[in-house]
Amino acid sequence: MTGVSLSRWTLIYFVTALLSLIVAEALMVLGFGYPAAGIGDPETLVLVHLLAIGWLSLLMLGAMFQFVPVLVAAPLRHPELQLPAWALLVAGLLALLAGFLQLSGALDFLPLMLPIGATLLFMGFVTAAISLIATLFASMPLGLPARFVLLGLGGLAAVATLGWLFAGTLSGLLQHPFFGALVGNSVPFHAALGLGAWLSISAMGVTHRLVPMFLLAPDKARETGYFTWWASLIAAVSLAVGAFVAPGKPIFASIMAVIAVIMALGALAAYGADILHYYRSRARKIIEPNSRMAAWAISTFAASGILVAGLLVAGRLGAFVAPVVYLVAMGWLSGLGLSQLVKIVPFVTWLECYGTVLGKMPTPRVQDLVVEMRLLRLLATYFISVFAGAGALALGWPLVFRLAVAVTLGATLLIGRELYRVRRLKDVPDDKRRLAPVPLPRLVFASSQRPST
Amino acid sequence: MSQDLVELDVRPVLRSGGEPFGVIMQTVSELKPGQGIRLLATFEPVPLVAVLARRGFEHEAREIGNGDWEVIFRPDAATRVRLSTATSPNSEPTSWPDPSVELDDRGLEPPEPMVNILAALQSMQPGEVLAARLLREPIFLFPELKDRGHHWAGRFTGDGSIYEIRILVGGGANG
Repeated sequence: MTGVSLSRWTLIYFVTALLSLIVAEALMVLGFGYPAAGIGDPETLVLVHLLAIGWLSLLMLGAMFQFVPVLVAAPLRHPELQLPAWALLVAGLLALLAGFLQLSGALDFLPLMLPIGATLLFMGFVTAAISLIATLFASMPLGLPARFVLLGLGGLAAVATLGWLFAGTLSGLLQHPFFGALVGNSVPFHAALGLGAWLSISAMGVTHRLVPMFLLAPDKARETGYFTWWASLIAAVSLAVGAFVAPGKPIFASIMAVIAVIMALGALAAYGADILHYYRSRARKIIEPNSRMAAWAISTFAASGILVAGLLVAGRLGAFVAPVVYLVAMGWLSGLGLSQLVKIVPFVTWLECYGTVLGKMPTPRVQDLVVEMRLLRLLATYFISVFAGAGALALGWPLVFRLAVAVTLGATLLIGRELYRVRRLKDVPDDKRRLAPVPLPRLVFASSQRPST
Repeated sequence: MSQDLVELDVRPVLRSGGEPFGVIMQTVSELKPGQGIRLLATFEPVPLVAVLARRGFEHEAREIGNGDWEVIFRPDAATRVRLSTATSPNSEPTSWPDPSVELDDRGLEPPEPMVNILAALQSMQPGEVLAARLLREPIFLFPELKDRGHHWAGRFTGDGSIYEIRILVGGGANG
């Protein structure tokens, strides 16, 4: 019952993440990578990893540093690891991107960047995970949302290890034929482990807590929640077995993939039922922008699942893998991330600025730090343009795709501007700002008001 | 207050030339919340008194004949409150007065319950108790309570859907 303080370095993760998203979107607008390049080409790999590591993984880790202590109602262990982990991840990502460009023939003058990048990234993920897992392990037994986070971190371990083996093989450091087969066969498993086992499972855990909290719905874990977790576990293990054991055994790999897909669809159905239950049993009549937009993101997740099932039955998944991945990455994961960022950043800013004076003087409310209607419009624009982009990919209209991403980029930039305004308290009405004059917070980290804790 | 005391007679150890400090501290660390020690020794253990004062014990010493001393260590007032909240968060702090302010914050969206509670505490006197019912454990509230010198105890009740917290307003809280 010692409570939870602000995570000091979460914001630097968020800022770097948002920058990565903006750069990735700008590259897509410029026609870099897929669909102009092939889906496995180095340019596309740059784009995919900028999104998966730079944006989504940094966002998720930054959020976890604040959120895991909330889940287990205990302080973060080893908070001093936050900044070194961030530095390793950013350096690793830059090296990895340079490594991909080397594969395409550019940047030949540099040493082997791919294994350097992968090694730094692996170290960064381990450093961050030590802090998070120590926090979780100190609070056993875990509630359901925390179990999802633990499972997600397991997925992260698998995807980072696989990525490191790929980098070692592609750069010629690992020469055993097994590794050649690994690169040849396990790339789809790597992608599924990253977007599914690491990011989606973690996001399900986060929403299991945040959605009922903001809706004032009862969040007692239900049977469906436990089913989701177990089905997710089996899916993740199948993916890991498929990735590490199956190279050179195509039938075995297919069986693992089928088990993973069936379990993932089952998990998704049960998860959807839980989320619907939260929205139906909510005590809040008015749904705030972040909860409304989280519903869009989760609906996109469900729609992606239905699409995958339909395309598999029709035998057409291979032809439409790009739009489905785009929907999952940009609609479900990124859309959820943005919709929660616009809630989390105002909350941590409010707590940092006004926490110590609460009750002692009138203070602005959290929602006074943002202009909700503006955010709602921007998030809706973001989602609609992402849907349009996925549609354009499905129909094979590259120019329409780039136009759609241009709108997505504009919405993202404006959401970033809103978050900047939150950190600068620019939208706090003047009369309320005068009530409680406080120093402006730093942009990229939370000031510690309690040096003793 | 004649609450339960653990009796520890270190006179045999002392008479045989032994060093009883280890066994005393061992006994102290095994005390249940609210328990004290009745220590019997062959001299007045002044250094021990200082050590245990730092651990939140007040003492009474008296000579009981033959040069022997009886020293009773009891948790001081602050420790009694802290122990009852820190080591048994699920039990009601029985020594507290009845709540003078009761809040039902179940209809409020986080972080409004926290704002509401901190505002109510501001107008209360040290020693008064506030009781509040919430839907979630207010984990961001606890550091603020600690900073302001309040004590608290909270638990989920019944089927776990309501969190009840009691807050004892600390001295100097309004500073």
